[in-house]
Amino acid sequence: MAPRLTSSARQLVGAALLGVTVVLGLLSFAGAAEAATVKGSPPKVEQQVIPRPTPYYDQFNSGMASSSIRVFGTNGQLLMYGNRDVKYYLPQMLVSGKTPAALWALGYQLFEQNCSACHGVEADGVPPANTPSPGNVPYPNLTGLGPATYDFWIESGRMPAASTPQTQPMRRPARLNELQALAISDFLNTKSPQCPLCYAASPFVPNVLDLATANLSDGAALFALNCAACHTITGDGDALANSTFAPSLRDVPARQVAEALRTGPGNMPVFSGNLTDAQLRDVVAYVTEKIQHPQNPGGLGLGGIGPVAEGFIGLALGVGLLALVGFWIGDRS
Amino acid sequence: MTARLGMRLPGRSKKEREPLGPYGRVGKAVEELDERLGIAKGGKTFLDKIFPDHWSFMLGEIALYTFVILLVTGVFLTLYYVPSSALTIYHGPYKPLDGQLVSQAFSSTMDLSFTVRAGLLMRQMHHWACDIFVGAIVLHMARVFFTGAFRKPRELNWTIGLTMLILAILNGFIGYSLPDDLISGTGIRIAYSILLSIPVVGSYLAFFLFGGNFPGTSIIPRFYVLHVLIIPAVLVGLLGAHLFLLVRQKHTQFPGPGKTERNVVGSPMYPVFMAKTTGFLFMISGVVALLGTFFQVNPIWQFGQYKASNISYAVQPDWYMGWLDGALRVMPAWEFVGWGHTIPFNVFVPAIIFPGIIFNICYAWPAIERRYTKDNLLHNLLDRPRDRPKRTAAGAAMLGLLSTLFVASATDVLANFFKISLNTVLVSMRVLTVIVPVIAYFLTYRICKELQAVPGAGKRKVVNVVAMTEGGEYTATPVAPPPELVDHELDAEPVPGLIGEDAPADAVAAAAAVGGRPGNVGTSSVRTVPR
Repeated sequence: MAPRLTSSARQLVGAALLGVTVVLGLLSFAGAAEAATVKGSPPKVEQQVIPRPTPYYDQFNSGMASSSIRVFGTNGQLLMYGNRDVKYYLPQMLVSGKTPAALWALGYQLFEQNCSACHGVEADGVPPANTPSPGNVPYPNLTGLGPATYDFWIESGRMPAASTPQTQPMRRPARLNELQALAISDFLNTKSPQCPLCYAASPFVPNVLDLATANLSDGAALFALNCAACHTITGDGDALANSTFAPSLRDVPARQVAEALRTGPGNMPVFSGNLTDAQLRDVVAYVTEKIQHPQNPGGLGLGGIGPVAEGFIGLALGVGLLALVGFWIGDRS
Repeated sequence: MTARLGMRLPGRSKKEREPLGPYGRVGKAVEELDERLGIAKGGKTFLDKIFPDHWSFMLGEIALYTFVILLVTGVFLTLYYVPSSALTIYHGPYKPLDGQLVSQAFSSTMDLSFTVRAGLLMRQMHHWACDIFVGAIVLHMARVFFTGAFRKPRELNWTIGLTMLILAILNGFIGYSLPDDLISGTGIRIAYSILLSIPVVGSYLAFFLFGGNFPGTSIIPRFYVLHVLIIPAVLVGLLGAHLFLLVRQKHTQFPGPGKTERNVVGSPMYPVFMAKTTGFLFMISGVVALLGTFFQVNPIWQFGQYKASNISYAVQPDWYMGWLDGALRVMPAWEFVGWGHTIPFNVFVPAIIFPGIIFNICYAWPAIERRYTKDNLLHNLLDRPRDRPKRTAAGAAMLGLLSTLFVASATDVLANFFKISLNTVLVSMRVLTVIVPVIAYFLTYRICKELQAVPGAGKRKVVNVVAMTEGGEYTATPVAPPPELVDHELDAEPVPGLIGEDAPADAVAAAAAVGGRPGNVGTSSVRTVPR
């Protein structure tokens, strides 16, 4: 051909276009990979790790017909409570070297500093100087909610709340460490209106220590039945009505998954009567092992948001690239 | 064999073989075939068929070759896929589903993904090829629409092409449903509900298709037969008709020097176009293989078996169904209840009436345009889109509407990604669905008019020689363009034929002078032939 452009120039232009496409593809690949790494590892927060002894969990089989189980320690304190299906153990036993009184005092101090401005000094949701709440929604009354609730909200970084009001608080790096969360829990337990120093009313921190024995297959089935409707089957979460959302499960630690199931934060239902402790562990194991570390062949996962991203890749990379190839080998008069 | 045994058959010695013609062994073989089958005449017509060189004529080929890839990979998949809803216990390398009760359809697709060698690659290539297939059809259709290639005499081919698009979308949806996973099962459930929403006959239709109530055990085998046999067979038939009409009616072409309503200017099938199109086939296969290798598509192991009790949020169909999903989402929840009957307009209107209107507009467009323009002439030269501003604007409005609805199928993803209220996104999408087509229409119309008004817009500029006078004044003088800028491609140059016609004597002589074949003579392969 004797075109306006020589054929080698034409090939150069074509090669350049292809090159740009490849670079764009690589960039988006890198972007996705970076997003994936950010997703996978939240910024580390220095935490005081407290060894958690296995509770007297397995000593009680599920054959007991009693609707309530209580286990008391040698000096009379309640160690564990529950029923045939659900068992909770107390946070006190996790704390070595802290007397209950010292823990309570620490909790009281932390609560005054971090929480009372909104929730009130009595933790009843009445703030001191009638601080207006965003959107005139009353502040939650915290009394009698149980250690699992307190632990979940504090350790997921949602409380103390961010300074900008949000319809639904988002997961952040925790502002208080595990011990401080337990201390606040301990203080708030004594504010329970039903019975101070009585723990039977509310869920305690669930046991998620023996996940290795969990049944992943059952966990997957339970997840598909109970969780996928909001969190999506891949656990990425999605928007719900009126600015609320089901958060992504990709970076939630096992204990918080279990606490969320037992306490139902925000819009989430409480899963206590319909999930046994064994099933709870199955679900938690599925989330922390397979949702968070998927066994996932087949190439780049495209953010797990499904056919929208797939369609975009198919159209942009597939059809677009091929149209460019056509543009290259065709004529452009 | 004979040579090794030292035998010689009478009359077959190397020396005695008749000399090969000017076209070598291939020519000899073709000649032998022609003596028996008389292929020369038709073959010559075919090999000499002229293809316009413009790049936008390659878009249909993307669809054609991805369809070939779909057939090849699809055949591979049928070797392992079991189209049955019968329950079985999955045992395989994917541990989270190990021991679960699943259908054989799901189990065999899991095996395809994890156990069968190259199975996952084939699955992913099949899926990506489908995404590209439909996309290329849409792009091809847009080219045909915006350049007016559907006008008389090609209305029938427009109709055939549109039917193929609908069948492609339908078969894509059915194929996506075959693995019986949680996401596609939800799609089948929506399809069932859409059938139910049709007044009076809906429940009968749904029961007929599903062989009873949802989900039943019939739908997977029935979809399988539709997917691998009936729809592909119809598609192949329509494709044959599409290409036959293309050859019979010859290509359209953009207007230009040397191009008239009565000729076709372009490259012949052999050797130019054949080389191009074969290269394109390899490129397309390569891109599909790369996508299948590096980009995960439809990871059913994450979804698990479909159960009527389960549902996942953030579920969308494949992109070509997205506009229908979007229409369902933006539709307000209106329904009619009375006399013991419910007519769910919120499903019936967006899922049945709306696509019916869209496709019927597309089918009727050539007739609509003929009616309004009173133009009943044969057209072989294409329009520039700017020269038909109303048609171009209407096409842009249609694409705007469908794209907005496609985006609306991801309301939840948008809301979650940008952390805005889902309700806000939904209301915005309702508004956009109405105003985007209007804006697209008037904006496109305006742009077309502006382009028309600017003389020579988009054309090669006149060459000017800028000179400075002694007084320091600059002058620009238009000059004749240098030879390398003059458009030579459109000048017709004869190319020697291949079959049943002797190469021109001068071409043979010229070829002999450089030691080549006549086909290599001449720098340009562009030819003009009468219609």
